[in-house]
Amino acid sequence: MSSFSRSAQQWATFARSWFLIDARMQPPGKIATACSVRLQGKHKPIYHARSDCGDHVVIINSKHIAFSGNKWEQKVYSSHTGFPGGFKQVTAAQLHQKDPKAIVKLAIYGMLPRNLHRRTMMQRLHIFSEDELPEDIRANLTEELPQPREIPRKLSEYTQEEIDAFPRLWTPYLRLSCKLVKEAFVGF
Amino acid sequence: MVFLTLPCWIRNRGPDRFWKVQELLKHARHFRGRKNRCYKLAVKAVRRAFVYATKGRKLKKRNMRTLWISRIAAATREHGMKYPALIHHLTKCSVQLNRRVISELAITEPRTFHSLAKIAREQQLEGFRVALGDGKEPPGVLSRVMLQ
Amino acid sequence: MTSRGTPSRFLRSVLQNGVGRYVCQLKRVSIVFSKKGQSSLGMRDFIEEGVVDFAKNNPGIVVYVSPQPCNVPKIVAEYLSGNTKTEPVTNKTSQQILEVLTKLTNQSGLDIVRLRKPFHTDSPSIQGQWHPFTNRPPSIGPIRPQSAE
Repeated sequence: MSSFSRSAQQWATFARSWFLIDARMQPPGKIATACSVRLQGKHKPIYHARSDCGDHVVIINSKHIAFSGNKWEQKVYSSHTGFPGGFKQVTAAQLHQKDPKAIVKLAIYGMLPRNLHRRTMMQRLHIFSEDELPEDIRANLTEELPQPREIPRKLSEYTQEEIDAFPRLWTPYLRLSCKLVKEAFVGF
Repeated sequence: MVFLTLPCWIRNRGPDRFWKVQELLKHARHFRGRKNRCYKLAVKAVRRAFVYATKGRKLKKRNMRTLWISRIAAATREHGMKYPALIHHLTKCSVQLNRRVISELAITEPRTFHSLAKIAREQQLEGFRVALGDGKEPPGVLSRVMLQ
Repeated sequence: MTSRGTPSRFLRSVLQNGVGRYVCQLKRVSIVFSKKGQSSLGMRDFIEEGVVDFAKNNPGIVVYVSPQPCNVPKIVAEYLSGNTKTEPVTNKTSQQILEVLTKLTNQSGLDIVRLRKPFHTDSPSIQGQWHPFTNRPPSIGPIRPQSAE
């Protein structure tokens, strides 16, 4: 028998976790897949679409996301105000300039199921453009999610040992022939 | 005439139309709005309800299976595997538990599910080892492995 | 039949009957028959042959035999839960009536409706149900953003 009583068991099973994810230099789509699974509760074996078992997700550094390719210029976010001539189109760069949380938010909103729970799940999403968190949210956090992409580094950020240990193109015959030539010189 | 139940026998006496309406409204009493008391509306709604019920009997099986699968997938990912790998390697180990039982184990008996995941993981690693062989190159191939 | 329009319940036993001891749930049986009616012929046979044996075999059940002028002889069974069941036994032989009576004796008195699930357990979990920290250790100290380290 479990060490909990029945009601404590129920509370423990349906307890909400708070996940933290750092969006620095991450593709927004990959951040969104990780978040939408947690928001829906699809990472729990007790998952049911109607049992409202989603968790909270806190995203920090949403200002420092990284699109690959030329998506900053070519990716277009469209909306319509409803008035004639109200069709608005902004590129990802312009949208990010205006609101650094919007791109991540829209990506997650698009990945959630289209039903009445979508707004509720979005309310459990907390996005922060920088890495400063309010104290009450920081106290709730239970786990930090691993970043989906390894942050790329510049050459200047590598140490000399790492540069030396980096695998080079493999040329055994060249070295072998050099050795032979050296031996030949020694022979003379 | 033979009447097996009392309502059928009572029905024998009165006007037929009243009883016909009652027979139909019996299925519509829990509907919302005027559908639960007006025959003209109820007859359509009841027919639709029965069609949905007929279709739903098949859909229920399908939906339950998808639910079990998504639950198993969630539980499997906690142990660092993926759902297709788990199911494939469990069948290889001739573990004949169906998806309903596995998903219930994942909820109510998490340690048992963990051991199942371990079994599948071992089977998977063994498959990898067999596929990779002993790490030696075939004869006639010169590679970095041989120089070391 | 729709699933919402028909009554349903979950599988259960009455007060865990039969786990430790068995208590017959049938408490009272009234056997209603007619003294003259053709349809009560088998019932009259049963009262002559079997009803005393039945009452002796089941000392926990009160058996009433009530002759009434009626067309449909019936068995009215009352259960400990307060439920009442009526079984018409028109034109049945004494053997068939005994079978009906045995069936009523063995029943729990719960309504016979669609079962939501054909299985039930009082202790669903032995190892303790899954909860968010079953498969991951609770972190030590508060979680901090990476840059704050």
